[in-house]
Amino acid sequence: MDSHIPMADMAPAFPFQRTCPFHPPPQYAAARAAAPVCPVTLWNGKRAWLVLRHVEVREVLSDDTRFSGAMADPDFPAITPARVTVDKNERAFVGMDNPDHDAYRRLFTREFSVRRMLALKPQISAIAEQLLDEIEAHGPPADLVAMLAVKFPSLVMSALFGSPYEDHEFIIRCAVARHGLTQSVEEAEVKARELAAYVRRLIDTKEARPGDDMVSRIIEEHVRPGKLSRDDFAEIGAMILRAGHDTTTNMIGMGTLLLLQNDAMRRRLAADPALIDGAVEELLRFVSPVQYSPRRVAKEDVVIGGVTIPKGEGVFMPLASANRDERMFDAPDTLDITRDASQHLAFGFGIHQCLGQMLARYELQIVYTAILRRLPNLRLAVPLEEIRFKHDMQIYGVHNLPVAW
Amino acid sequence: MIRIRVNPQVCVGAGQCVRTVPEVFDQRDSDGIVVLLASTAPDERLTYLQKAVKLCPSQAISIELDPKP
Ligand code: HEM
Ligand code: SF4
Repeated sequence: MDSHIPMADMAPAFPFQRTCPFHPPPQYAAARAAAPVCPVTLWNGKRAWLVLRHVEVREVLSDDTRFSGAMADPDFPAITPARVTVDKNERAFVGMDNPDHDAYRRLFTREFSVRRMLALKPQISAIAEQLLDEIEAHGPPADLVAMLAVKFPSLVMSALFGSPYEDHEFIIRCAVARHGLTQSVEEAEVKARELAAYVRRLIDTKEARPGDDMVSRIIEEHVRPGKLSRDDFAEIGAMILRAGHDTTTNMIGMGTLLLLQNDAMRRRLAADPALIDGAVEELLRFVSPVQYSPRRVAKEDVVIGGVTIPKGEGVFMPLASANRDERMFDAPDTLDITRDASQHLAFGFGIHQCLGQMLARYELQIVYTAILRRLPNLRLAVPLEEIRFKHDMQIYGVHNLPVAW
Repeated sequence: MIRIRVNPQVCVGAGQCVRTVPEVFDQRDSDGIVVLLASTAPDERLTYLQKAVKLCPSQAISIELDPKP
């Protein structure tokens, strides 16, 4: 047993602040060196536990028997007051335990299979080229976040899901209202309701006029035969839309900035596009944009890495810590697109591991490759100090990325 | 020779196995759940198969070294 676990009242306040925009908060490395699990104090005074190393994060996320992902559980840990309310009202499978989780998720796994996503690649490429055409026509300087990072996943989700592209700003406002760190409870909850109501209306529209899209297919395969209610589909659809927009956007912005900061690496990748597969995995490892999920609550007293997590207490798995664990990755704070980063946990682990991961991978592979090919002399159009990093968001990235070429 | 088993009951259709060893793993057309294209593989594929075992988020894959040819 580890005897250095501080008392609850000494547990530091969580979340921590970053001191460098390219690295996770330094407290992770310090705590990770001391123990695999570290107690923290949340905004509401409750104690929670951080699981900081790769092995133990996999262990917790694989253990559905002793850890629950039921977001409606009053003990489920939340990073903000707004999050408590949206968690309590979460109806999609991201907030469920088994057997319900798998039963719902399996209605959607086909839509995200490797084969389906491979078939979507030509369309994804066409979208990337179209947006780069617009950027070239606009001329430098251009904000790569507004002109590419936000629009690209929106157009892809529109093509896949069937949500009209004109609605993307509304969808993004709904995602951001959930993913902020400072929003009001009302704002988060109103936007959660609005997005589910929006998908509910979209279901009606597609029932009347089906198209070649996910909503129409799910109606045909699962809703009409009575396997999925329209209201459940609306909640799941809202979750998929939020997850499909905000995450990829942040990886595009942050990943591009990292390539701009590492000129030799960027040249190497531009010269050898076959490196893109591994480069995307390494960028996912290095950025780990999802900061305050996955979370679980202990269903019983559980010993993890020699530390007892008492029943009913919350656990956070900061993926940015596991992905910088020196026990798993050599020189973890070095970005190296030629390393084997495939064991990274940026998509989580266990039954809730990202459903959209193959889509995200192909989107990122295609968009980074297109950027490097179309804008070979890409550079920041402002000093680094003028880049606004998303310290105010649960999903990390950049708010702006003015570039020239 | 390596023997491969999958447990479709626990698979969550993440596709990590298909991405890692495409000649062995596939996803069913009907629901995206894992299906084996081959239940054995030559020893040379051990590293990749071990990787698939590790990457699978729901422990749906197991492998066993079979000394018989
Ligand atoms: C780079 C982009 C992405 C990253 C880093 C990412 C990350 C994650 C993570 C860490 C989780 C696990 C959350 C948890 O355990 O609590 C997750 C779940 C999920 N993601 Fe993603 N994601 C990305 C893109 C996408 C896309 C494009 C989609 C869909 C279009 C998507 C859909 C989902 C869904 C539906 C879940 C819930 C799965 C479940 O509970 O079974 N994600 N994602
Ligand atoms: S990696 Fe595991 S969960 Fe994913 S498709 Fe393969 S068997 Fe299923």
